[in-house]
Amino acid sequence: MVVVPKTRKEMPVTTLSVPTIGSAGKTGFWRDFRPVMVELVSPCTYDCPANNRLPQIFEKIRDGKLEEAAKIFLETNPFPSITGRICPHFCEEHCNRSEYDEAVSIRSIERFLGDYILERKGEAGFHEISTEKGKKIGIIGSGPAGLSAAYYLRKMGYNVTIFESEEKPGGMLTYGIPPYRLPKQIVEKEVAALTKMGIEIKSGKTVGEDIKFEDVQKEFDAVLLAIGAWKERDIGISGEQLMMSGLEFLGEVNKGLMEPPGMDVAVIGGGNVSVDVARTLKRLKAKPSILYRRTEKEMPAISEEVTKAKEDGIEFHFLTQPVDASKKNGKIVLKCIRMRLGELDASGRRRPIPIEGSQFTLEFDAVIKAIGEGPDTTWIPKKFLNEGGWMKVDSATGVVGENLFAAGDLISGPATVVEAIAAGRRTARSINQYLRGEEIRPEVPLEKPVKIEGINIEYYEPKERAKASELPPEERTKSLDKEETSGISLEKVQDEAHRCFSCGYCRACDICWIFCPDGSVDLENGGKPEFDYDYCKGCGICSNECPCGVIIMEREEE
Amino acid sequence: MQSTKFMESIKELSKEEYLLRGHIACAGCGPAIGLRLLFKALGNKIILVVPACCSSVIPGPYPYTSLAVPVQNIIFEATGATASGVVAALRKKGVNDVTVVGWAGDGGTFDIGIQALSGAAERGTNFIYVCYDNEAYGNTGVQRSGATPYGAWTTTTPTGKKERKKDMPFIMAAHRIPYIATACPSYPLDFVKKLRKAKAIKGTKFIHLLAPCPTGWRYDTSKTVEIGRLAVQTGLWALFEIEYGRFKLNPPSDQLIDKEKRRPIKEYLSLQGRFRKLTDDDIEKKQKWLDEDWERYHKLASNNASDLALCEEI
Repeated sequence: MVVVPKTRKEMPVTTLSVPTIGSAGKTGFWRDFRPVMVELVSPCTYDCPANNRLPQIFEKIRDGKLEEAAKIFLETNPFPSITGRICPHFCEEHCNRSEYDEAVSIRSIERFLGDYILERKGEAGFHEISTEKGKKIGIIGSGPAGLSAAYYLRKMGYNVTIFESEEKPGGMLTYGIPPYRLPKQIVEKEVAALTKMGIEIKSGKTVGEDIKFEDVQKEFDAVLLAIGAWKERDIGISGEQLMMSGLEFLGEVNKGLMEPPGMDVAVIGGGNVSVDVARTLKRLKAKPSILYRRTEKEMPAISEEVTKAKEDGIEFHFLTQPVDASKKNGKIVLKCIRMRLGELDASGRRRPIPIEGSQFTLEFDAVIKAIGEGPDTTWIPKKFLNEGGWMKVDSATGVVGENLFAAGDLISGPATVVEAIAAGRRTARSINQYLRGEEIRPEVPLEKPVKIEGINIEYYEPKERAKASELPPEERTKSLDKEETSGISLEKVQDEAHRCFSCGYCRACDICWIFCPDGSVDLENGGKPEFDYDYCKGCGICSNECPCGVIIMEREEE
Repeated sequence: MQSTKFMESIKELSKEEYLLRGHIACAGCGPAIGLRLLFKALGNKIILVVPACCSSVIPGPYPYTSLAVPVQNIIFEATGATASGVVAALRKKGVNDVTVVGWAGDGGTFDIGIQALSGAAERGTNFIYVCYDNEAYGNTGVQRSGATPYGAWTTTTPTGKKERKKDMPFIMAAHRIPYIATACPSYPLDFVKKLRKAKAIKGTKFIHLLAPCPTGWRYDTSKTVEIGRLAVQTGLWALFEIEYGRFKLNPPSDQLIDKEKRRPIKEYLSLQGRFRKLTDDDIEKKQKWLDEDWERYHKLASNNASDLALCEEI
């Protein structure tokens, strides 16, 4: 009689530890290495300042579970509708898929999810708020850092009050970024959703003028400074008072100004503010020219924006440094000097060096400078500042001292919205630890990300990435308000989620299961592998074939 | 490259297992993957006829077995004859929902069992014959067989085999049987599809499965699927079927007629210890033969297969 074991228990157990004839028992004895499923960090998560868990989010999208995808997103970034539009998408830069064909259109997916969330944010129960803690937190500044911190602190159950000196909340989102990149209704809706969560926003209240800073510190259990960096730096040349500040100009436009300061306008600087100013001027029917002392390659502005500026027909004067400004016949005469590039400097870019005797003049109706911004800390008590006028702060936790915290551009200098959002979230975490009387510890840095060598790309077919459609330059330069980039459809979002290699995160594809010669892979745990070490012989096929790089072989202990 | 919906389609395969855990195939065994796929395609309403080969050892020692389907173990030369007998017995008993499957290694097919197989095919016996080909007598310690390719080391060809591999699918095509196919466990859906197709066709069906063997081919056990994939991608193993005399290349081989699209055979050969002693001349020779094979495939595929007109549709 032949015995066919029906269950695992019926299989004979042998004490033989070597593969010899007749050991038809637990073949796990043969093994030198065991497969182990791990969760590793993907390059997109690693490169994202907010560390959005994108492979996990895309898994939910593939399964058609948008709400679950949205909730994972909100754990690290409360405003994907905003970053999905304007983020320079650090996540796409080192996407492993870009070494295969093209990076996944992560930002477009983010925008889709962000809009999905925005439609539902007001609904009851979308945001679960923990039991009320009965403690009050004051936040000064309602830009992305302040709003992000407010969101997470409110979710933890704190009472949050935001002070905003301008009429409308949003900071840079409202008064900095032009509407053709970020429609203002989006910001308004995000803010409205925060108010609905119970966050109080006191607009038109300037701390240091309308309310004393010391009073705020006294009234609240913790105070977060998130005032951003709005002060235009000086070039340090004569006639500088003839120039407008870039951020001031953008602020005016965002408040309703529809007139350019002149026809021919020079914009000095190579950063995002400079490009935003120039592209805004173009939409106000002016003729802007960007003056930058290095070349296009060294421009700190988002490269996509620089490309678009060129498409818009904006003139660029590279290697051009103004040295003097004066007024003549109603025009501003800029004396400039030609530069050349020298050795690398501390920022890793080539240093511009003036070429002697290369002076020339340019004439404009108006000049706007945007060479970099710093925070205005003049009203903050000196004990919190260092000699350079910057906050004394532990940048990993946002701790300043006493009950004071700081986050965003105020401590980092001008950076991106996503960095401010991430800083807001991290500082909210520190504030929670502080108010609970715990030791304040920074978030643990992520492990190095998975490289393409860890991914079995044989299981993916080449497929073009989904491209968001853009208005052509002649169309988009007609309107300041018309959003120039559109979103992508749900179908395309799902295609993109399928294109994702899911680096370091099991995509429950069953490939390890189908190829296991020993049938020792169980998929009962939501389709993710569990190895039956009683029988697994440790051949390593599962690890070699895994299309996400999540199965590693560990040496067995003796 | 697997087909577009590869990951989705794998999920649709049955989770039932009839090759149970605890079998004693070597770690990384290609034929064991093949057996699991056989059951995924055909279920357990089958009778396996297994001659002397690895698969008569894999189930483990009596009285235990890892094969949860009826098995007729038989002597080396008799797979075709025994299967014919099982088919006749089932017919006599009026059982018509059981598929008879001959599951034999390359030694038992190319060399020792070819007479019985030829006889069964000539009689048009209604069964599926799967030759799982690991290109040597693996079970007895890796001796050369008629399936061992040119230049490969075995214990009986220590300096590499000097003869070419038999072209078994075309030997079977000459029998004018209704269905012949090649497959590889690295392309599981292709193999499963071909088995299901074979099941639905009446008569003798022959499937030739290239089954990489880490023990005999001398490579790391984790590379079994990769080596099978490379065999197909280099063109050394073409996936095709001959259905009622009509020759057809299957994906991804159908994309490889253009020589440029085939990966260099060195990628396949260099991973395996058995080809370690191949000289550049040997490789060139193999490449020449390969290109000739593909010219033939190209002709067959483009001529609407009238060339082969070996079998008329029933």
